Amino acid sequence: MRTALDHREPDRIPLDFGSTAVTGIHASCVAGLRDYFGLAAGPVKVHEPYQMLGLVEDDLRAAMGIDVTGVFPRKTMFGNSSAEWKEWNFRGLDVLVPADFQTRTEPNGDILTFPEGDETAAPSARLPVGSAFFDTIVRQPEVDDEKLDPADNLEEFSPISEEDLNHIERSVRTVAARAYGVAASFGGTAFGDIALVPAPFLKNPKGIRDITEWYISTRSRRGYIHSIFERQCEIGIQNLARIHARIGDAVDCVFLCGTDFGTQTSAFCSVATFRELWFPYYKRVNNWVHANTGWKCFKHSCGSVERFFESFIEAGFDIINPVQCSAAGMEPGELKRKYGSRLVFWGGGVDTQKTLPFGTPQQVREEVLRRCEIFAPGGGFVFNSIHNLQAGTPVENIVAMLDAVHQFNGVAHA
Amino acid sequence: MPELEKLHQAVIDGDWKGAAAATQAAIAEGQAALAIVTGCLVPAMDEVGRRFECEEYFVPEMLLSARAMKASMEILRPLLAATGAQPTGRVVIGTVKGDLHDIGKNLVASMLEGGGFEVTDLGSDVRPEQFIAAAREKNADIIALSALLTVTMPSMKKTIDALRDSGLPVKVIIGGAPVTRQYAEQIGADGYGETANSAVALARQLMKKAS
Repeated sequence: MRTALDHREPDRIPLDFGSTAVTGIHASCVAGLRDYFGLAAGPVKVHEPYQMLGLVEDDLRAAMGIDVTGVFPRKTMFGNSSAEWKEWNFRGLDVLVPADFQTRTEPNGDILTFPEGDETAAPSARLPVGSAFFDTIVRQPEVDDEKLDPADNLEEFSPISEEDLNHIERSVRTVAARAYGVAASFGGTAFGDIALVPAPFLKNPKGIRDITEWYISTRSRRGYIHSIFERQCEIGIQNLARIHARIGDAVDCVFLCGTDFGTQTSAFCSVATFRELWFPYYKRVNNWVHANTGWKCFKHSCGSVERFFESFIEAGFDIINPVQCSAAGMEPGELKRKYGSRLVFWGGGVDTQKTLPFGTPQQVREEVLRRCEIFAPGGGFVFNSIHNLQAGTPVENIVAMLDAVHQFNGVAHA
Repeated sequence: MPELEKLHQAVIDGDWKGAAAATQAAIAEGQAALAIVTGCLVPAMDEVGRRFECEEYFVPEMLLSARAMKASMEILRPLLAATGAQPTGRVVIGTVKGDLHDIGKNLVASMLEGGGFEVTDLGSDVRPEQFIAAAREKNADIIALSALLTVTMPSMKKTIDALRDSGLPVKVIIGGAPVTRQYAEQIGADGYGETANSAVALARQLMKKAS
């Protein structure tokens, strides 16, 4: 993987599934894959209940031929911090969830969950009947512009605790003992990630927490957003320094920010707005990482984002994910030609909106082989589907995808 | 600047307080509510849509303009009702069962309302029978369905099947990130909108065909 990240062609394309919250596998698909590969039966561990992501354990990693593993924050998106697991039945699927993950089923069958598992707090997410993922419940009192204080939006950004540092150090030690590449997610450096704005992990979030209000604020309250980002950036860099002091260069790359700048057909802002509102903070964080560590900087943004690539590169990002080739202006050959020597494409391997969930195994195979032919030459490519493997994806299609990558790599896998 | 020009500019600038004030002033000047909608709000939102299409505007600007348009409509709606003015068409809109994502759907609803349609927004996670009941109650011409997740796209088909079974003479348009024209055809929708703006053009086209 390191060779690929350094833009040199490795002996085979490295493969990631499960190393981050945007390159993962839905718990139901993990269960299906474990069954397919004949691995030990038993409930799948859901390490991120927000997206119902199943933990890819060593046996499945080996069976799938995965080359990367992850280091995750101590707390889930719902603020669950328990290291213990408990059983939970997720609509017929037996899984394990953090012991302090609490749910309540509504009379209509919807499932609610609570920040830090505290059922006395207002629920912070809902999983409706018919879905397979939670979505945040916005808890936003009416915004009074006179009383808005950026400190209210900074509750979740604070100096990293000793407990968190110990967790990271332990996790890194565990994964470093294995022969995998390591992608680490420490948290704290996502500037305005819309999934985090409603703060489903906080019991009583203050400030701007409504998604529409946040988007509007990036235009109409830009000074307020700058104040949040400025302080968050300072705290984030201090925390990265403390983490690096503990773990050194034992991880290959750091997932720094998942803020989405693209939609299916366009962008969430102009390049000029990006450069004014986000670029300075990204540059400071990435500059610090490059000046002080051997980590590569990983940026996630869905959608049509080719217009931002020059700015991402100038801001110091090394890796872009998920490379949503189905979005406007994201033609894979053109991306590779223009940016392939400067950005690592971590993703782009197969479409998860159409081909993988709804196509035939043959269509999956053809798309995967085509993408590998485009992205693999010269390195700078880590194979991953375009975002997490979604619930409802047929296992035979996932297997067709894996087989195609291994065939391209010339490696036989069980 | 005449009040209607001020209102037009306030909508384009996303200034909801200015839009409300200009609406009140235009009414005080004796402008008819329907004339304010057709002569000012509709062209203003058309301009917002045009700017979005040519990427001069993005989601935040659209949301701000929609808010300004709504501030004006809040004042005008009772006056329109009192005059018995007929909208361009009646649309019932919602995100389908199982899906809680509503930003895209809200934008489409706003653009339709700004385009002169009467819009009934059922919110998100809407069951097929809720769409049918609302369409019946509101005498809807069009039902607009949104989905963001691949796992909830089948809810679109279920909704359309239920609608066809109900015999309601209503057109169905669909949209959302994973949705395609091909999927729309496959499940029997009457149209597919790739963007909020194209949904308005599509709805207008369907109304023309129906008349």
